[in-house]
Amino acid sequence: MRKLCTAGLILMLPMAALAQGTDTAPSVDLPPAAVTKVMTAAVDGFIRPGYDAFQASAETMTAKMKTLCEAPSKANYEAAKSAFREAAVSWAHIEIVRVGPIIEQNRFERILFYPDRKGTGLKQVQAALSKADETVTDPVALGTRSVAMQGFGALEYVLSGTGSEELLKAKDSFRCRYGAAVAGNIVNVAKEIADIWDAPDGIQKTWEQPGPDNTAFRNGGEAITVLLGILVHGAEAIRDQRIETFYKGADKAKFPKQALFWRSENTWASIMGNLEGLSALLDKSGMAELLPEKDRPVVAATQAKLKSMIALSGKITPDLEKAVGDAGERKKLDTLLADGKDVISKLNDGYGGAIGLSSGFSFADGD
Amino acid sequence: MWRGETIDRRGFLKAAGISFTAALFPRSLMALERADAVYASGFRAPDGSFGIATVSERGEIIDRVALPARAHGMAYSAATGHAVAFARRPGTFAMIFDPSKQTEPIVITSPEGRHFYGHGHFSPDGRLLYASENDFDGNRGMIGIYDARDRFRRVGEFDAHGIGTHDMTVSDDGRLLVIANGGIETHPDFGRTKLNLDRMEPSLVLMDAKTGSLMQRHDLPASLRQLSTRHLDIAENGRVWFAGQWEGARNALPPLAGWFEKGEDLSFASLPEETTVRLGNYVGAIAVNRREGLVGLTSPVGGAAVILDAKIGAVLREETVREAAGVAPAAHGVAVSSYNGQFNQTRSKVAWDQHIVRLG
Repeated sequence: MRKLCTAGLILMLPMAALAQGTDTAPSVDLPPAAVTKVMTAAVDGFIRPGYDAFQASAETMTAKMKTLCEAPSKANYEAAKSAFREAAVSWAHIEIVRVGPIIEQNRFERILFYPDRKGTGLKQVQAALSKADETVTDPVALGTRSVAMQGFGALEYVLSGTGSEELLKAKDSFRCRYGAAVAGNIVNVAKEIADIWDAPDGIQKTWEQPGPDNTAFRNGGEAITVLLGILVHGAEAIRDQRIETFYKGADKAKFPKQALFWRSENTWASIMGNLEGLSALLDKSGMAELLPEKDRPVVAATQAKLKSMIALSGKITPDLEKAVGDAGERKKLDTLLADGKDVISKLNDGYGGAIGLSSGFSFADGD
Repeated sequence: MWRGETIDRRGFLKAAGISFTAALFPRSLMALERADAVYASGFRAPDGSFGIATVSERGEIIDRVALPARAHGMAYSAATGHAVAFARRPGTFAMIFDPSKQTEPIVITSPEGRHFYGHGHFSPDGRLLYASENDFDGNRGMIGIYDARDRFRRVGEFDAHGIGTHDMTVSDDGRLLVIANGGIETHPDFGRTKLNLDRMEPSLVLMDAKTGSLMQRHDLPASLRQLSTRHLDIAENGRVWFAGQWEGARNALPPLAGWFEKGEDLSFASLPEETTVRLGNYVGAIAVNRREGLVGLTSPVGGAAVILDAKIGAVLREETVREAAGVAPAAHGVAVSSYNGQFNQTRSKVAWDQHIVRLG
């Protein structure tokens, strides 16, 4: 290290404030073996199974859509809607991972284009339906079109939007084939992302073994900080993007039709999936074990709050017009917002502070 | 950033007046009286509230101003005595305040369809305030223009000729705006999520301050397209120093700082490998000490502070500073703060934010 301690080159910190040695001084400094154990558990116990399950659910959804197209019936229509719900919940579970290959090459947006305040997706889907554009009935070709008409939002409109009764009227209707293509496109993206994570020498290895030559994490602290970031950003997205998009408080304007999946009344199923994903990652990764014994209660407290939010979400009416219009339902929404803030704080300041981020996770994310 | 135009501590005291010093607690007054320089920086208090503090060169807190939310970059006009703190992106407020508390703070908000990007600068005469902003639906950086003589009314805007606009400054003669476009797309619907890490477009721009016309734009070469050029300062000779944050492979060793002048190409400082590693491929703040020809860099990621020779970019000194936050020119060397409350020689019960501005 160069040190020219002439009077004109003073760094104004006293020596007492400066760490000794020439090594880096990451804020989060954890035992490598413990980090590898947690990262391996996170990857093998949550991320990879999560994407695999999502792919499987999307394949089932595609099969049900094809069945509906070939044999329109009330039963097949309900089965397709049920498969949509299951795939949406499966996605919600793993959706909390907003880092890595999912945010490259528009993969995330191809699965879910949301929020969409200007209704771009709706306009494009309606245009495709009115024009009966055959090029959107092939999943591969659809994958090259606008991301707003490729994912769950588009399929929800096909199944539950205006004109969805057409699905029951004729075999192989354009609307149904477009819906099946959307489902097939979701499978394609899901398979792509699952394959990336399943490759033995790919990202799973990178995530599990931080080190100086690692392309993702130069040390264990960086890896755990990113893992914590999944939880913090996931909790923030539930509160800020999924709930506050339509409800910010009793005295604020309400926009129930801005909520994700309001048409199919799957808003709470999706939010519960997100919350369960957070809880599962926190549990399966064993992140608590990285904390000193005295700090571990923050993980249990976070889990308790997440469980409480999951239970409460299941008690709110899926009809969002009613949810924001009824005083009793609004009280539940207010509780969810408050609890969400608490979860963010527990992860951000509680867990973040305990691993060495003295001012919390979000404060330390630079800019 | 300190630009050699600042007043010294005696000047600050004179400008602040008797009423300001009389209102200070004795301990704060003592800190101010023995200070060679006065700084301001954003902070988070232990109770989670946010504010701006004026700070002595020793790092002692002199006074505080409360903020509605977290701030990021700051600017100061020695000509008018105005200081401004910009909301952290994607925030929508900026607070203009008088560090000597002679006048009430003014809070401005970004217009519909825009949010502040965290930095800005005054024109040399202090009449205009320029702010980096995001036209988020248009996915383009903007420079908002505010009139200091009319309670900082927004009077116009320029296209920043890039995306992810972050830090910006003004040439000493006021003719040029110097802009760091980090190249990262964000949208308030997605919080602080970086939406285009696989297709970033970082650039550095010189713009005519009167017309907004593009005078010079440096796109980073393809091999460095994941180097987000985010912060800058101007050296004595008009040389623009910039610093970046690498979003690519963590085992890469990209150049993290460099310079350019009007009419010239970019040059990168050849930092030793060990220095790049210590900085964690990430520079969070940069400041030039013009009088001594130094460039200070800090990194919260690597936990380091580094001083370069402003003429040739050679490393003169580097130190480990855990959670290093802001950097600013000092009477000698540079002042450094940290997230854990350290500001030069003093540890306070606050978390200092990412940037420091020198007031006097």
